[in-house]
Amino acid sequence: MITAQGLYKRYGAKVAVDHLSFEVRPGMVTGFLGPNGAGKSTTMRLMLDLDNGGGETLFDGRKFGTIKHPMREIGAVLESKAFHPTRTARNHLRMLAAGSGIPFSRADEVLEFVGLSEVKNKKPKSYSLGMAQRLGLAQALLGDPQTLILDEPANGLDPHGIHWLRDVLKSLAREGRTIFVSSHLLSEMSLMADQLVVIGRGTMIYNGDVAGFVRRFTQSTVRVQSPDVDRLVQVLNRDGVEIVGPGADRSIEVSGLDAPAIGELAFQNGIMLHELATQTASLETAFMTATGESEEYRAHEILGPPAAEMPAPVTPQAGPPAAPPVPPSQPGDSTPGGAA
Amino acid sequence: MSSALRFEWVRLRTLRSTYWLLGIGLLVTAGVAFIIAYATRNDPLDADIAAQVLTGGAEFATFIPVFMAIIGIFSTGHEYRHGTIQPTLTAIPQRSRLLLAKIIMVSLCSVVVVALSLAINLVIGLIFWGELPSFGNPLDEVIPGYFVLVILYAICGLALAQLFRGVPSAIVVLLVTPLLVEGLISGLSLVPALDWLQPALKFLPFSAGARLLATGPYEANGGPEFDYLDRWASGGVFAAFVAIILAVAWYLFKKRDA
Repeated sequence: MITAQGLYKRYGAKVAVDHLSFEVRPGMVTGFLGPNGAGKSTTMRLMLDLDNGGGETLFDGRKFGTIKHPMREIGAVLESKAFHPTRTARNHLRMLAAGSGIPFSRADEVLEFVGLSEVKNKKPKSYSLGMAQRLGLAQALLGDPQTLILDEPANGLDPHGIHWLRDVLKSLAREGRTIFVSSHLLSEMSLMADQLVVIGRGTMIYNGDVAGFVRRFTQSTVRVQSPDVDRLVQVLNRDGVEIVGPGADRSIEVSGLDAPAIGELAFQNGIMLHELATQTASLETAFMTATGESEEYRAHEILGPPAAEMPAPVTPQAGPPAAPPVPPSQPGDSTPGGAA
Repeated sequence: MSSALRFEWVRLRTLRSTYWLLGIGLLVTAGVAFIIAYATRNDPLDADIAAQVLTGGAEFATFIPVFMAIIGIFSTGHEYRHGTIQPTLTAIPQRSRLLLAKIIMVSLCSVVVVALSLAINLVIGLIFWGELPSFGNPLDEVIPGYFVLVILYAICGLALAQLFRGVPSAIVVLLVTPLLVEGLISGLSLVPALDWLQPALKFLPFSAGARLLATGPYEANGGPEFDYLDRWASGGVFAAFVAIILAVAWYLFKKRDA
């Protein structure tokens, strides 16, 4: 069990981690989510006493620095290529084993486990990112610890490797171990994590189970298709109901009313429906909703042509359909800029 | 502490650079010893010749001190250069214990290397001398002084790399300070208008440290008037310099983020 209380870190005027408190329970995988720059790595560094800051983290009631051989109880990997480029993987692990009172034979065992036996005596400078991640996992497992703290362990792994990692972590969790793993790969977290700690700009956004996160940060919508969609929009338009569309296929997305209520209103008003389907939001949608405002580094949209040159959005209205936009003139056109 | 020492021992012996630095250091020093012993083969064996052969001319060509300083630089600098400080501190989170283990292991390595170098150079000397030199005064102070000098150089390198948290800056300071900075200050002291610098010359750390290998009093012979303190006091000047760098590096290591 990991108990983090009031973790705090600032760099000058910028607060990187703002009084974060959470628990990571044994027997399950706890995902640590947040956009780039949210403070995930800094939080993990604070937990492991690598950074000086406020708050405290207890591992089964003890501070990291007071544990005699921490590697035997907490396996942690925060950087994927934290090894000397010419010291072999085997020697890298043996060095750490020597510092933790772990027998050298354990280095070979974990290298075999992560599939690096064949390259254990090679210089890791030639390792791919995926191989480096496997070496990192071997390092974390070296002391057969009860707790694992892994920062983005799936980065650089191929799909097979990701599948393998997921199975390994879930299997370790089933053995009653405490697994705390950060990722920005939301699809990974949805398959791997049982619990989530979600942060943005160093502050807690959510701490709980995955389903609860989706429930809290998304609103289910109902997709409705009807030949008389405009009249349906008028019927559904009331307080608390949000309607998006109709789109090109004349369908609308309705939130604030569930499917039975929409079906009933349509029936009462004699409107035929072709489709009535509840849309469940994904973890990714929930994540975007939850962290949208707390993104630290946000790219700008690709610049398009000036607004004057853009065609005006087409708003469906009652009456005859609007004329199609006039295509720009093309070389060889006999009627420049005009409709054929 | 024993775990930290074992960690450092494995760290040191699993690096290729340890072997080629020590190998080149021993080889070059033996080469200098051979040249001096061969060139003076017809001269009567005195303390000067014996000291220069045994130390491989370390008073003017500090090969083993500098190479051991580089091993010291690697012991802390590599941790930052290659990011291994994170796994290291997750294995041994007690920072003072880790730094102390590094100092002890680098110092022990220095002792072994100096002993080995002295033994190799003695064999080379004996080829030409045909007899053992007198290990009385001043060799009875020069030899311990050599051990102390190399240990101080190694710790200096370790402390500089810990202070700068990297390898290149530490190597630059280690090489530039004795070669350029101290040379510049002592050279400026020869300018009559700047002769007020002369009293400070005895406190130039690397120059003072070299006095640990002195076989006689310093003679200016028209050069800068260093007016050195005695052997061990001069060694103390160098040790104080190293201690100051180490203290600052140690304090910052405890205080800064890894």
